[in-house]
Formats: sequence, C-alpha cells, structure tokens
Amino acid sequence: MTVSRLPSAAAPTRNPAYARLVTERNRFTVLMTVTFLVLYLLLPILAGYNKPLMATKVFGNVTFGYVLAFAQFIMGWVMAAVYVFKARTFDRLAQEAVQ
Amino acid sequence: MTFLLSALIVALTLAVTFWASRRNTSASDFYVAGGRISAGQNGVAIAGDYMSAASFLGITGLIALNGYDGFMYSVGFFIAYLTVLFIVAEPLRNLGKYTLADMLVYRLKDPRVRTYAAVSTIVVSAFYMIAQVVGAGSLISLLSGGALTPSVAIPLVGVLMIIYVVVGGMLATTWVQIIKAVLLMFATGLMTVLILNRFGWSFSSLLGAAERLNGASFLGAGVKYTNPIDLISLCLALVLGTAGLPHILVRFYTVPTAQDARKSVVWAMVLIGAFYVMTAFMGNAANVLVGREAIVTANAAGNMAAPLLAQELFGGAGTLGGEFGLAFVTAVAFATILAVVAGLTIAASTSFTHDIYKGVIRKGQATEREEFRVARLATVAVGVIAILLGLAAQTQNVAFLVALAFAIAASSNLPVILFTLFWRKFNATGAIWGIVGGILTCLALIAVSPNIRGIDPPEKTTGRHLVQAAPLFPLENPGIVSIPVGFALAAIGTLLGARRRREEEDQAFEEMQFRAYTGAGVDGTVAAHD
Repeated sequence: MTVSRLPSAAAPTRNPAYARLVTERNRFTVLMTVTFLVLYLLLPILAGYNKPLMATKVFGNVTFGYVLAFAQFIMGWVMAAVYVFKARTFDRLAQEAVQ
Repeated sequence: MTFLLSALIVALTLAVTFWASRRNTSASDFYVAGGRISAGQNGVAIAGDYMSAASFLGITGLIALNGYDGFMYSVGFFIAYLTVLFIVAEPLRNLGKYTLADMLVYRLKDPRVRTYAAVSTIVVSAFYMIAQVVGAGSLISLLSGGALTPSVAIPLVGVLMIIYVVVGGMLATTWVQIIKAVLLMFATGLMTVLILNRFGWSFSSLLGAAERLNGASFLGAGVKYTNPIDLISLCLALVLGTAGLPHILVRFYTVPTAQDARKSVVWAMVLIGAFYVMTAFMGNAANVLVGREAIVTANAAGNMAAPLLAQELFGGAGTLGGEFGLAFVTAVAFATILAVVAGLTIAASTSFTHDIYKGVIRKGQATEREEFRVARLATVAVGVIAILLGLAAQTQNVAFLVALAFAIAASSNLPVILFTLFWRKFNATGAIWGIVGGILTCLALIAVSPNIRGIDPPEKTTGRHLVQAAPLFPLENPGIVSIPVGFALAAIGTLLGARRRREEEDQAFEEMQFRAYTGAGVDGTVAAHD
C-alpha cells in the first residue's frame, strides 16, 4: 500500500467512510476481544474450581477437560477467520477514507 | 548420528546466513530485512520464533508427567495470538518502523517514552534470553548424553546466534526460524501419525492407556496446579503477555503492509495451533510408551520425553530406526534453541541501537551507515552478555524467568500499547508510569514469591530456593495482580501528568488513529517518519 502523506490530520475525520471505519472497527475489536477472553478464561476457572466436571468422560475416554481445550483451538481458528473476513470491509472503508 | 544431523542443520543455517549477508547492507535490512518478507514467510517465521524448546521438550514432558494440566499451557500459548491479531499486529505495523518505542513515540511525541520503552524491551528480552540460554545449556548437555557440558554448550549456542544475526541480520534470522519451524512441524506431525497408528487412530484409546497406568486424575485438572488463582494468573499472563513480547512484535515490521501483518498472524496461528494440539498426543504417548520412570530417570523435569518417545516410535532403543528417531528429534530441538535465541538477540540489539543509541544518545542524528555498524556491535555485546549471564545462572532453576517475561510484557507493555491506541487522554507520563510500574511490580512480587523464597529441608542439595524464608506473596505467577496494577498506574500517571494543550492532544490522537486504521502515510516498505 503506497499512500502519500496527508497535508492535515484533522480533515479526514469528517470523511463519512472514516467515521464508519473507526466506529465499526472499535466496536468489533472490543466485542471479539471480550468474547474470546471470557471463553478462554472458562478453562482455568473450571480447571481450578470444578475438577469433577473436567474429569467427566464425554466421548469414550476423552474427558470434558480435553473437549474444552480442543474447543479452544477451534474457537481460535474460527475467530481468526471471522476477523479476516470482517477485515475486508475495514480495508475497503480505509481505502475510501484516504481518498 | 545426533552430532551428524545437528551439524547438517547448522551447516544449512550457516549457508543461508552467508547467502543472506549479501542482502544485509543497511540498518533497515539488519533490523527488519528491509520490510520485504512475505506474509506467508513471516507467518512461518513467527511460529519458528515462538515455539521454543521449552514448548517442544518442556510441554511434552509436563503432559507426560502431569497429564491434562500440562496441556493447559498449550492452549494459552495458542489463544494468545488472538490478542496479537485483534489488537496489536496491524496498528503496530502502521505506526512504527523498527521497535515498539517507535509506535509509542509517534503518538505521544515525547522522547522520554523511547528510553523507557527500550528499557522494557531489553528487560523482557533479557529474562527470556537467560531462560533460553540456560535451558539450551542443560538441554544440549542432556541431548548429547553429557558429551557437551553446559559450560561448552552455552558459548556454542551464543557464538552461533551472534554469527546468524551479525552476518545475516533479520533476513538470516527469518530463514533460520522458517527452517526450524518446518523441521519442528515435520517431526511432531510424523510422530503424531505414528502415535495414532499405535493406538488405532483413536485419541480415546490413547487416553484409556494413560488412565490405566496413572489413574483417572491424569485425564483431569489438578495434578500440577493445586491453587486455582495461580493457574488463572498464569493463563492471564500468557494470553496478554504474548502481545507485548518484543521478539514477536519486531516480526510485524518485516512485512510491507498491515494486511500482510494480519495474514502473517493467521499463518502463524495455523502452524502454532496444529503444533500445540499435537503436544496432547505426544505427551500422553510418551507417558504410555516410554513410561514415567524412564522419563524421570533421563531428566527429572521431563525434558527428555519427546526425544525418548521418538526413539520408541521409530523402532526402540538399539535399533537403527530408533537411534535415527532420537537423533533427528534431538537435532530439531537444537535448531529450535538456535532460532529462538537468534530472534531474541535481534530484538534486543535493534531496540538498543535504534532507540537508545540513535534515538537517545545521538538524538536521532546517526546516519544509516553508523546505525548499521552500531547494530552489529550491539549484537556481539548482547550475545556475549547473554553467554556470561547464562554461564553464571547455569545451575539455577530459571524456568520461572519465562513466566516472568510474559508477566512483565503483559503488565508493562500491553497497558501502554492499549492506552496509546484507544485512550484519547493518554500521555507520556502515563506511559512512563505504566512501563516502570509494571516492571517493578512484577519484579517485586516475584522476589517475594515461592519462586525465590521458600524453606527447603536441609537434605535437599539442588534446586534450593535463593532465600530460605517463607514467601510473602503466595502465587508463582504475578500476572493477576501486576496486570491490573500496570493498567492502574498508566491511568494514574496520565491523570497526574502535565497536559499539552487540549487541541494538540486531540490532534496527536487523531493523527495516530487515522494512520493506524488506514495505513495512510506508510510507504510500501518502511514507515516514512522516524
């Protein structure tokens, strides 16, 4: 991406595409970050305070603890994919914002 | 055979280093390979930079000896990349040139911030490096069957890392990391396939075998972590600290754009995730196939679990296949150590040269040529200091230094990065309070924690606590206290700090935000500002 320097920093905030970019991106970042932190912290919280649940067998000998841990990996990949998908919109808005 | 394979890997990496030396001719080449690494390459290199021998050997051993609790480390190391992806990677690329300090100074416009950010970078890198170098010494001694003592192995690793970085700069470091990541993924992938083959392609039957040998508690939580708060504290430091690790952050400057930074995190997450999932198979299989007793006999901390497992999977001790498996995995572990210390060295010397030497001592007046020369001198200095500290600390148990590095990164770097990006009123005083407060809080808590203080029985001769007194702080991991303290101090400093005029403050924030979100003003390779 090669973009020239802007003459002033105050001007672009009035661009509607830029205003949308800032609002949507901030909202999305906060939502995604809070969601994954809460879901992730379930793991140590349950591991610390609900050991019987973690040791309960769900599939064959695979315990709830392992299911939850593997689910965290899937959550990580899915959330990364969602972010990449959403980021296309942000890239487009950013392009419009600098025009 | 181990020696031969390790020598082959070293020869390959040195060949790449001398190839890279032709393209290592300026400060920008040295620091960030001219910003010309592709997203895919960078993703693999991030994985190579991050998956340390502590992960490969350490976590496999932890799972082999403690079961499920060891696997929780794996989850945290992986999930941490969501923080990197969502918050740090893209704005960092858009706002900085070579270091974390670049990004903070761009917004806060105060040269003092550069000094403190550099100090934090160097402190985090130093703790991480001491842990890696001491670990490297004992691992190589272990892996070579005692042929190379730590006093020989530590200088050996140090000299190799100095050569990679001084001669080949960031380009060679990147390729050493890529080679290592490919080897490591290949080794763990192959081992996992062989493991599944032994257990009827079923994780359940592997766990069943582990349960028969160790009892039901092995498949659930609580064997290693008995204090829930300590576990939560550790998990917080892992998931928030990765986004503040200087050797990971510097990798985002090696790609041309923020989009490439984003893509590299995704590539890294594919590899890192796959790797850490496989630790669950390797750890449990090591317990079942090698056996707890054999693992502990080789090394009490479990570090030999992975190489012994490879020996078993490839045909067992005494067979040609078994010896080859052991040698191959040992050589991969050696490559892993080299790649991680090279990454740490370049991050520390970049920060020293670009921030302290050029930014503070020479007040930005150093020429590109001078900077390039000083950067390579700094690398030699960093390398020699790392060797000396490693030799001095070689008999100490330094595993906690890694957790400390993550805790400092989470308590001092992350609050400042977040406030810089999102808090309009944030100022230089707040940044300094946050950085200094985060570091000091972590150090103070660690100093009075069970890592340092404890009362050992007189018959215990090795691994004794440094201070023979009851710990004053109950947790081994300070994160749960130090991270909120870091945020609070950054906020208090901001409120107490001298204000610039309101309009100036607003303008600096909006300029930063515009550039962070659009990439405007970032030219194709290297950011235009200083």
